[in-house]
Amino acid sequence: MQAIDPVVLKETKYIALWSLVFSAIMQAVFLVIGRWDYTVILGNLLGYAAIVLNYFGIGLTVQKALEKEEKDAKQTMKLSNTVRMLFLFCVAVIGVTVPVFHMVAALVPLLFPRIAIALRMIGNKKDQTEEGEHEQ
Amino acid sequence: MELAIGIILGCCALGAGICMGIGAIGPGIGEGNAVSKACEAIGRQPESKGAVTSTMIMGCAISETTGIYALVIAILLIFVAPITMVNALKNAIGL
Repeated sequence: MQAIDPVVLKETKYIALWSLVFSAIMQAVFLVIGRWDYTVILGNLLGYAAIVLNYFGIGLTVQKALEKEEKDAKQTMKLSNTVRMLFLFCVAVIGVTVPVFHMVAALVPLLFPRIAIALRMIGNKKDQTEEGEHEQ
Repeated sequence: MELAIGIILGCCALGAGICMGIGAIGPGIGEGNAVSKACEAIGRQPESKGAVTSTMIMGCAISETTGIYALVIAILLIFVAPITMVNALKNAIGL
């Protein structure tokens, strides 16, 4: 079995941590609007597990693809994309159709990684600006 | 009434299909191209592999987001929109 690149683990941990923070915020919002019950937690757990696995899958695929030739790397990414999309589709269908999962709580976590990455980009931009000011 | 419900269900299914079809093409092609260019970059500068991998994973996640948006919309069109619209139609005609 191939060893997992530390970069992949680091990136997955980053996304998992921020998604956990956003999940807590979502739970708090449900609590405040008075719609909180056990289905919200179960739905949130389902969505959270799906996105962390999906992101870990992206990392593993990128690690594998970067060791291949250009053409093979392209094919590997396309195949992985299709498989991951199918996996997310199954998770979303389960989250919407099975009554023990709250639909919104299962679907909203799928969008958390984008927010986490956007926050990171903002942080990086600020760091670069501060570094530029120090250099001047 | 049956015709109206049929049109609603058909439109929802068609919308979901178009949404997933178009939404999933972009990330697949984009990720493939990005990885092939990253392979090229690592081939030229093998010492930058860590930085390239990190940037690639973030880039792939960003491009994947459009596919996930499309997926969420398609799921809502399949499972939620038909029920809501049929109920709205029934309320409108007083059934």
